[in-house]
Amino acid sequence: MTTDEAPVTDEERSRQTISLDRHSSRYRIEFEELSTEFHGKCPVAWNDTHGGYWFASGNKELFDIARRADVLSNDNDINGTKKGYRGISIPHVENQERRTRGGFLEMDPPEQRYYRQALNPYLSPAAVERWKPVIEEITRACLDEKIESGRIDFVDDLANIVPAVLTLALLGVPLKDWDVYCEPIHASVYTPPDSPDYPRIQQLQMLSGMRMMESIHEVRADPRPGLIHELVTCEINGYRPDDMEILGVVMLLIGGGFDTTTALTAHSLEWLSEHHDQRERLSREREALLDSATEEFLRFYTPAQGDGRTISQDCVINGTEFKEGDRLWLSWAMANRDEKVFEDPHTIHLDRKGNRHSSFGLGIHRCIGSNVARATFKIMLTQVLDRMPDFVCDPEGAVHYDTTGVINGMKHLPATFTPGQRLGAGLEETIERMQRVCDEQRLAEPVTVRKARAKLDS
Amino acid sequence: MKVRVDSDLCQGHTLCAMNAPDRFALRDEDGHAYAVDEDVPAGQERPVREAARSCPEQAIVLS
Repeated sequence: MTTDEAPVTDEERSRQTISLDRHSSRYRIEFEELSTEFHGKCPVAWNDTHGGYWFASGNKELFDIARRADVLSNDNDINGTKKGYRGISIPHVENQERRTRGGFLEMDPPEQRYYRQALNPYLSPAAVERWKPVIEEITRACLDEKIESGRIDFVDDLANIVPAVLTLALLGVPLKDWDVYCEPIHASVYTPPDSPDYPRIQQLQMLSGMRMMESIHEVRADPRPGLIHELVTCEINGYRPDDMEILGVVMLLIGGGFDTTTALTAHSLEWLSEHHDQRERLSREREALLDSATEEFLRFYTPAQGDGRTISQDCVINGTEFKEGDRLWLSWAMANRDEKVFEDPHTIHLDRKGNRHSSFGLGIHRCIGSNVARATFKIMLTQVLDRMPDFVCDPEGAVHYDTTGVINGMKHLPATFTPGQRLGAGLEETIERMQRVCDEQRLAEPVTVRKARAKLDS
Repeated sequence: MKVRVDSDLCQGHTLCAMNAPDRFALRDEDGHAYAVDEDVPAGQERPVREAARSCPEQAIVLS
């Protein structure tokens, strides 16, 4: 189903060629200017960096392309048995040690659909609702660790920890393992291959992969509820996935669950520190504003900046002629700044209406953890507003990712605030207690099996 | 005014239920949305229109 419009001429195509390395500081620093320029001049452009690929930045153009599962492929053909497509990363990341693909985000239907149907009952809004007391308790413990000192690093001491512990709880692996995964997951995103720290990060990544493989084996041998149990028992279009395929899915869930929510939380807190009046307004009017503010932070900071695709058949969309095998980047981040859809796009309006941002992607690959992300973000944000209402982030200590071509994240965000009282046990003790709650109440069952909310007083 | 969710387009973004919680419900198993009632009661058109406008997949059909 392609639209019959005149294809572009060579002259038009040359006008639509850009040269933008998304991993350069130019992308990060000139992001707003580049967005505005592309929206006006070339909402779909040919980007001649990284081997050449289409770059969709216009909101309408991206909307019309992203949902065309009939002409797009996410497949990462690691065994070379299909068409040799290279998944969702541009540039393509060669992974010599682990021949895994990025789970079902690097698959096409029907397999992709089987995976989502299997995992959705663990991640739907009703499923996530059950976990809120646990998320609140882990957040409480993180803040208690720092509340008496008047100092916190919102990344290291809060936003790295809560999503990590919760993701492991959903998977059904030991919560105390969170720090085995935490550093390699974040650092592998922001550490370039030429960094002196790269070998160490690779080593940590390998160790975390091995630890996760052990956990997969443990769940096989001694079943316990959670996403991993689903993966080791489910049937995908007539086959049972092997351990390497399951590891790829689990690492997708961990990668998606950890770094993105951290990125959103850090940026939002940094902005609120710079806009005291807006912070007070959000805290005061949170019943009315929390949802819209969350969507606005998602739009503005777009934690996952975009996704790659491969064109799976020749087609013409909105006049652009795509060839089978062409690579394509869907810039969720730039589409979120298109003034044709978002008035005053480069400004945060906490009460923005009609905010149909694409920060969780569009179409069949919509972020499967979006409900987890929103719940975790809102709980962390509101507890900070309640317990550290006068926090001030230190601009000297804030460290943004050097390049934001994949994840728009932060490494550190130190802040000071008026010290307060602890409310309960510390983090380690709380994680042990939450482990007992998960085990005793079988919280990681799918919502189709267990509907009740976690009870923490048991 | 009538409203329905095109289930072929809905991907479970949940913004409709956020904007008009009385008019849209989300399925337990996957969070995909459906209209509680096809007929929108008088006085509730505004949040339903806002829900339609906010849908990232443009899956809400008003008539």
